[in-house]
Amino acid sequence: MTPQAYGVGIGWRPEISGFIAELPGLRFVEVVAETVPDTGPVPEGLAELAGRGVAVVPHGVKLSLGGAEPVDPERVTHLARVAELVGAPLVSEHIAFVRAGGVEAGHLLPLPRSRAAVDAVVANVARAQAELPVPIALEPIAALFDWPDDELDEAEFLTEILDRTGALLLLDVANVYANAVNRGTDPVALLDRLPLERIAYVHVAGGTEHDGIYHDTHTDPVPSPVLDLVRALCARHRPPALLLERDGHYPPADVLRAELDAIAAAGGYPAVT
Amino acid sequence: MNPPPAHDLAARQAELVAALVSGAPVPAGFDARLVGVARTALLRKRAGDVARHWPLLAAGFGPDWGATFAHWAAGRPTQGSLRDGWDLARALARKGELPAPAAEELAIREAGWRYDGASSPRPRRLPAVRRAPGGVVLQLAGRVRVLRRDGGS
Repeated sequence: MTPQAYGVGIGWRPEISGFIAELPGLRFVEVVAETVPDTGPVPEGLAELAGRGVAVVPHGVKLSLGGAEPVDPERVTHLARVAELVGAPLVSEHIAFVRAGGVEAGHLLPLPRSRAAVDAVVANVARAQAELPVPIALEPIAALFDWPDDELDEAEFLTEILDRTGALLLLDVANVYANAVNRGTDPVALLDRLPLERIAYVHVAGGTEHDGIYHDTHTDPVPSPVLDLVRALCARHRPPALLLERDGHYPPADVLRAELDAIAAAGGYPAVT
Repeated sequence: MNPPPAHDLAARQAELVAALVSGAPVPAGFDARLVGVARTALLRKRAGDVARHWPLLAAGFGPDWGATFAHWAAGRPTQGSLRDGWDLARALARKGELPAPAAEELAIREAGWRYDGASSPRPRRLPAVRRAPGGVVLQLAGRVRVLRRDGGS
C-alpha cells in the first residue's frame, strides 16, 4: 500500500460500527481477521465501507508466526480467504507466538531475540506468503517480559526478519512506547534504527500503568507520549497511514473523534472526522 | 548462558505457555515477577473477551467479574471465549451461583447448541426446551424464544 497515503484509520469493531460509518474522511480500516467467517458474509458495516472504497486490511492475531511449529495451513487459508472477501490491499500479523505444545496462551507472546527464533519466523512467514494473495506486514509486539538469552537487540531482530522475508512493517508506536518504558530504553532511538521506509502503516493505541508497568490495553486513552512518538516518527519518515486501535471501554463518540483528530494532527494528516 | 539449540525453541515455548496459563513453574532465567504480571494481564484480557461473548454472565458479577473469572480460569488454558464462558456458567449453575439473567443467557445457548464440554459447540438439529429463571427457552428450527411464566416474552 506504499504508493497510496490513506491517512488516519481506525480498527473496525462491531461495537463502534455506527460511529465508523459516519466518519466522512475515512479511507482505511482494519478488521481482526479471525472475526470474519471465511465463507462470508463480511459484517454488514464493514461491507458497506468496502463498497464505498474504504481500504480494509485483515489483521490476524492467531497465526502464531513465531511458533517453533509450522504455521497451521488452515489459518493461513482463512487469512487469504478474508483478504479476498474484503478486497484487501495487504494483510498483517504479529511477530509473536500464541500457542505451544497444543496449549493456547490467549494472547501474543514475545519471542527470544535469537537466531533460532528468527529462523522460525522467517520459515512461517514464507509459508504464509506462498498462499496469501497480497503482501503481509509484520507487527512487533509489546512484551511484558523478555527471554533470558537474547542474542540480538530489538532493531537487529526486526530488521533481520524484514530483510529475510521481504515483508512490510506494521509499526505500533504504542508497543514501541510500552517496551521502552518497561525496559528503560529510549523509544526514539529505536525509531532511528528501524527501516522506516518499509512501514505499511502504523498502529496507535492507548494503555495504562499497573504496578509500575505500562500495559498496552487498547481500552484506555492514547497517552500524550504515544502521540509525541507519532510526531517523532513522522518527522523522520511519514508512514502512509496511522490507525487507531480501540478494543473496549469505548468512550463517547466526541472523545473518540477527538482522539482521531489528535492522531491526524500529530501525523500532519487531514482530520477524517 | 549459552544459546539453546534451535530444536529447543518448541519445548521452551511450551514451557513458557504452561507457566503462563497452566500453573507450571516459571522457566529458569525468566523474571518471575514480570512473568507473573503477564499471567495476570492474560487473565484480565481473557475476562474481557469472555464478557463480550457472555455479556449477561459478566454483568451478573458487576465489578467482581474480573476476579470471578480469574479465580476460575487461573491454571485453565483457554478453549476460546465461547467455551470458557460456557464452562464457567455451567460450573456456577451447578453450585447454584449463576445470577438469573446469566442463567437465561446460558439456557438460550443450551437450547440452540449441543456442547459436550470437550469440543466446539454445534447447532442442534432437533427442537429443544431448557428451563430458565421465570420461564423456559424453546428452540425450534434454529429459532430461539424465551417463554416467561408471567406472560411476557
